[in-house]
Amino acid sequence: MRVALADDAVLLREGLARLLKEAGFEIVGLVGDGDALLELLERTRPDVAIVDIRMPPTHTDEGLRAAKVIRERWPTIGILVLSQHVNTRYALELLSTGTDGVGYLLKERVSDLDELSSSVNRVGQGGSVLDPAVVAELVGRRRQADNPLEQLTEREREVLALMAEGRSNRAIAERLFVTEHTVEKHVKSIFGSLCLPPSSDDHRRVLAVITYLNSQ
Amino acid sequence: MKARLYAIAAAGVVAGAGAAWLAAHQPPDRPTEPDAVLTLVVGASLIGCGLASWRSRPENRLGPVMVITGFLWFAGQLSEASAPWLYTFGSAIQYVWAVGLIYLLLSFPSGRLRGRLDRSLIWATAGLFCMQLLAMLYGNKAGIRCPGCPDNLLQVVHDNHKAQAWLNLERLVGGVVIATVITVLVTRWVRSSPAQRRAVAPVLVAGSASLLALVWTVTFDLLGDPLSSLPATVWFYTSATVPIAVLYVFVQRRLARGMVAGLVVELGTQSPSGDLRDALSRALGDPSLELAYWFPAENCYVDGDGRPVALPDAHSARRATFVEHYGQPIAALLHDPVLEHNAELVSSVCAAASLALENERLQAELRARLVELQASRARLVEATDAERRRIERDLHDGTQQRLVSIAMSLGLLESKLPAQAPAQPLVRETREALAVALAELRELTHGINPPLLTERGLAAALDELCRRAALPTRLELSLDRRLPDQVESAAYFVASEALANAAKHSHGSEVRVAAADDGEHLIIEIADDGIGGAATAGGSGLRGLADRVEALGGRFTVSSPPGRGTTLRAEIPCA
Repeated sequence: MRVALADDAVLLREGLARLLKEAGFEIVGLVGDGDALLELLERTRPDVAIVDIRMPPTHTDEGLRAAKVIRERWPTIGILVLSQHVNTRYALELLSTGTDGVGYLLKERVSDLDELSSSVNRVGQGGSVLDPAVVAELVGRRRQADNPLEQLTEREREVLALMAEGRSNRAIAERLFVTEHTVEKHVKSIFGSLCLPPSSDDHRRVLAVITYLNSQ
Repeated sequence: MKARLYAIAAAGVVAGAGAAWLAAHQPPDRPTEPDAVLTLVVGASLIGCGLASWRSRPENRLGPVMVITGFLWFAGQLSEASAPWLYTFGSAIQYVWAVGLIYLLLSFPSGRLRGRLDRSLIWATAGLFCMQLLAMLYGNKAGIRCPGCPDNLLQVVHDNHKAQAWLNLERLVGGVVIATVITVLVTRWVRSSPAQRRAVAPVLVAGSASLLALVWTVTFDLLGDPLSSLPATVWFYTSATVPIAVLYVFVQRRLARGMVAGLVVELGTQSPSGDLRDALSRALGDPSLELAYWFPAENCYVDGDGRPVALPDAHSARRATFVEHYGQPIAALLHDPVLEHNAELVSSVCAAASLALENERLQAELRARLVELQASRARLVEATDAERRRIERDLHDGTQQRLVSIAMSLGLLESKLPAQAPAQPLVRETREALAVALAELRELTHGINPPLLTERGLAAALDELCRRAALPTRLELSLDRRLPDQVESAAYFVASEALANAAKHSHGSEVRVAAADDGEHLIIEIADDGIGGAATAGGSGLRGLADRVEALGGRFTVSSPPGRGTTLRAEIPCA
């Protein structure tokens, strides 16, 4: 899989490139800001663009803006936005344009090579990735006692969080050391409790779940 | 000095007696204008008031001018004498005293002429005297109507027509000169300040009346004297009032100094600010008076509210008088330039008011320091905010990046180790510990300066804050613009601290956060439904919030009745 990398911090950019190479990805180029990234994508058309959210010139949300442009110009290129902050609002803004081939991860998450390569692969294959810290923040919000979310069991909450991270039933099953069938049962029960229409498509349900979490 | 004045007075009495005697002992066929009484009234007024003014204000030359004018008046009465040489001399200088009168009017109150026009007018009046002499080369006084007059020793040719022509020319030119003088005086009046008008009003009224009467007289002389001596009599009487008016103004100024005693009493009984200015303004007779107080810390003068005051320079239409107390500057009186002619009054008022002024100065200094303090608090908050942003940026770009890159290296190391290597668990453990440290660092930097606040503004940051709150929180927003950085961050930290307090101490079940911008203030209110009884005193975080809000000129209130929840409210100016 071919990957483009945009981050103004050289130390992190080079470190990340090394990790990705180690994990077997092909790096098509390393750049330091949004404009350079768009130019690189135009030339190389990789499968995934990994973008730091804070880049020159304003050091605020350039990565996010670059992501919007990439979505419009090259809908098939997966986008993985990296951030140093847990910024739920930015993560949801990113995913609200469509969850196919989009991801939001904390930078420190990439130190786990397995986690990194699975995230890049998921985004490259049109799936979605939402950082566990963001999901924890969404699920962990305090709500009134009568809120349906407060009625879920501990296990159902775990499954809900993993769904929101963009994981498939099989991945959830592996993570929780249960069978895929058990996960399916949990998912059905969760959707029932939250009155969400049942969805078999792993990609679609991410959006449904995070939209629900954010609205409550 | 005194002896000289007495000598002049004695000479005046002799001259007056002589002139009156001449007026009273006229042959019946000679015109007698003025009569003995009028002669004495005008002369005594000029010399008497002149001497009194001279004594009262020795530095002002108007006193001597009036005295000389008075003697010239009496000398002019020699035209009534029977001896030919006295008669000739008296006739020649009969009207020279009018030069003194006009000088008096033009130069009042300083005694100095103010420019080329003034000097030209005086020279023109003097020129009229020459025409009188020319007329006398041709004929007797008025040539025609003076059958009983003695011989005119200046007469060379007997030609009454030429004499009359010169006299008429003298009257015409005289009329023009007087009209110009009146115009100058009126213009000056229109252009002067209220304080200046007050100072010159009596003299100007008397002078204008006299000059108008003179114009009337000259006009009737030209027309052939249809009213005989009436206009001239009016002119003489009105002229007699001019020196009286001058003396009145001078004496009034002296009386004004008596007001200083009243001022001292007034200052003893009251002293709130503003009243001092009014009292001084009354004592000085200058409604436009302003006070400025010396502010040593900034080396400048400030007004009563502590704002810097610019002192008038040499070209300004205002003047400044400085007040000192034991050699230290206290205050400056900014006043109308007319008070410069009454320096004694100003200095006695300053002396009387110096203690009250020192008092006011201390208050003004206090207010100036408060203004300064408020500004410095605001700067402090600004500096704190800037510092917070800098620290957050430094941590983000420095420490956090470095730690993340170490985590990456550890990840790489872990992947290169064989699965069963003995170091494998240790590396994983280290990487996970580092992840915890990074999470803590992230929380810390978020607390120092939430990036969302800077990047997306208060509304977004409050939304995020409420979503992350430990108690269920309802947010009501009425904000549709970005506000100044310090306002947004003060409001944010108020909400953040209040939510943290509510979670820790309120035992409540719900919090309501409301933020609204009414165009002038940002009002933020955080209310919980807990047990209340929050303490604002001591080193609590609430004190810090109050400081922060008040530093921006806002108001911070806490209402926390036991059992009825806690409501924090901050109103921060943001117009």
